[in-house]
Amino acid sequence: MRPRVFLVDDHGLILAGLRAELADDVEIVGSADEVGAAVEMILERRPDVVLLDVHMPGGGGEAVLREVTPAAPEVRFLALSVSDAAEDVIAVVRAGARGYVTKNISAPELLEAIFRVADGDAVFSPRLAGFVLDAFASEDRLGEAEVDPELNQLTPRERQVLRLIARGYAYRDVATELAISVKTVESHVSSVLRKLQLSSRYELSHWAAERRLT
Amino acid sequence: MNPEPRPHQGVRLGVLPQGTTRARVRDFCAMSVTTPSRAEIGVPHRPLRRGTDNALVGGVCGGLAIRLGVSERVVRVVTCVVALLWGVGLLAYFALWLTVPRAGEDRSIAARLLGGRNRLARVAVAVAVGVLVLVVLHPFSQALLGPLSWAFLLAVLGLIVVWRGATPEERQRLEELGRNTPLLRSRAEWTKTSAFVRVLVGLVLVLLGVRLVALVSRPIDGGAPAAIFGAAFVVAGAVILLAPWWLGLVHDLSDERRSRVRVEERAKLAAHLHDSVLQTLTLIERSAADPGQVTRLARTQERELRQWLFGPATTNHEATLAGALDALVGEIEGDYGVRVELVVVGEATLTEALVDLVAAGREAAINAARWSGAERVSLYAEVEPDKASLFVRDRGRGFDPSTVPGDRHGLAVSIRERLAARGGAATVRSTLGEGTEVALEVALA
Repeated sequence: MRPRVFLVDDHGLILAGLRAELADDVEIVGSADEVGAAVEMILERRPDVVLLDVHMPGGGGEAVLREVTPAAPEVRFLALSVSDAAEDVIAVVRAGARGYVTKNISAPELLEAIFRVADGDAVFSPRLAGFVLDAFASEDRLGEAEVDPELNQLTPRERQVLRLIARGYAYRDVATELAISVKTVESHVSSVLRKLQLSSRYELSHWAAERRLT
Repeated sequence: MNPEPRPHQGVRLGVLPQGTTRARVRDFCAMSVTTPSRAEIGVPHRPLRRGTDNALVGGVCGGLAIRLGVSERVVRVVTCVVALLWGVGLLAYFALWLTVPRAGEDRSIAARLLGGRNRLARVAVAVAVGVLVLVVLHPFSQALLGPLSWAFLLAVLGLIVVWRGATPEERQRLEELGRNTPLLRSRAEWTKTSAFVRVLVGLVLVLLGVRLVALVSRPIDGGAPAAIFGAAFVVAGAVILLAPWWLGLVHDLSDERRSRVRVEERAKLAAHLHDSVLQTLTLIERSAADPGQVTRLARTQERELRQWLFGPATTNHEATLAGALDALVGEIEGDYGVRVELVVVGEATLTEALVDLVAAGREAAINAARWSGAERVSLYAEVEPDKASLFVRDRGRGFDPSTVPGDRHGLAVSIRERLAARGGAATVRSTLGEGTEVALEVALA
């Protein structure tokens, strides 16, 4: 089944390009170039996947996420941006995006990512995996008064999976490498995404902000 | 004067018979609704209320002006003149301030303070304190103010009492007045009121200072302290009078500085964009016929711009592992036209071991770019407490390790030896048709 996709980007060129690249394989139900219109149309059309630009006037992708997610939790978001800045990546994922890819991703990879998000899985680019590893790296710095240690640490297996993704492995390569099924890889990644979104780790935001200053 | 009775304007003093209780009551009722907020010249209004809208300080003069139907300015000038006569005007002002209710309020400050229990005791205490203060301060202030001394001290006491008894609204107004009066407002922010108060305060201070200096030159009491005070008063008065112009100047200067900073910022940005982006765009236009070159140029520019926009602001970026790898990525993308995706986890200052690691990674990445046929090479570096690792992966054609071409073999050997000397290792895994991954590792001291 072709997923119903909605595009949000304030650059007309990018919208046109995405449309051209994706139109054969997914059903594009609409596009918007500003936050307000995007929220309205997404709530009206209820697409399966929203391809969401991170940087837009009026609050950016994060604003769209915060408006739509409470009203339509079944709509899934894949963030798409030119920015590699850690704070953008972390912010949009923590706001509820199921994945993050940069705009220079190739068309087949983007399609794969869209299908994966449509299936409810998480999409981690190597860079996002690297960010997460970096942000969760410091076990020793974890405070004593940690509320939920389970949410604030990665399991060794999750760490392994993320490392392989950061090394450029596709999910099925990861599965082969670790001798597990692709489904298991996906569940590990989803679990990492959940931790990333729910973790109260001080390091997450601190680390993201610090990346630009140090 | 208009002979017809005007609605909503209150009752004219001359029209209504005075003296009868009933008339006064009616009078009051009419007034409380229709008392204007400004004096209407020739039209007196009752009862006497301290003004709110036309108040400079306590609203006494404004209220009197409304009550008497004369202009506020006349009342003020008269008050000031009378104030100079042994301070009578000042005392009268404070007496009215305390005893006349403010417009819209039903009790005067004095009434409010004296209401409630223990009033006799409170009055006694207040009077005692007041007398004590007066007796103690009078000798000092007399040297400064001469015959105005009593009035001045009583006025200060009156001000304190006013503050104690003021309603919240009046207190708020007084605070606002206090904020507006002083000294640090530039000319643009002047209101009529604040200008008036400023000039008044400034002049009074200057006059006081001059008077003090004059006192000292005559051999009466006072002496050196009075001279110092006098000089201080003159200076303070002058500052208050001149502050607006000076502040205006400062404002203008800082505005100018800000806009200059903005212009410089913009020039820097323009220069950067010109040196990088515009140049590259020109090159791309020229080499439109060569797609490979276009891609290469675009990628180089993209990386550079990205680094500039999102990169860490460190000055010695070059001296870190991430910095060295960034440079490596630039080199390979520029030379071979492949995309190199770099992910670094952790960070470390460049040591000799890490330099070797990067050099090994460089060889591996060049190999991948040259031979694998893949469009993209992934670089992943991770710094752990005891070791640093670097993975170079491509998903190109791969090779069978048993049939390694000569140059590759040699390379692998040189890499292995170098890394082994650093307490590390190098492993190559490749599958035909699947791609290659080189894992490099050094120990960190």
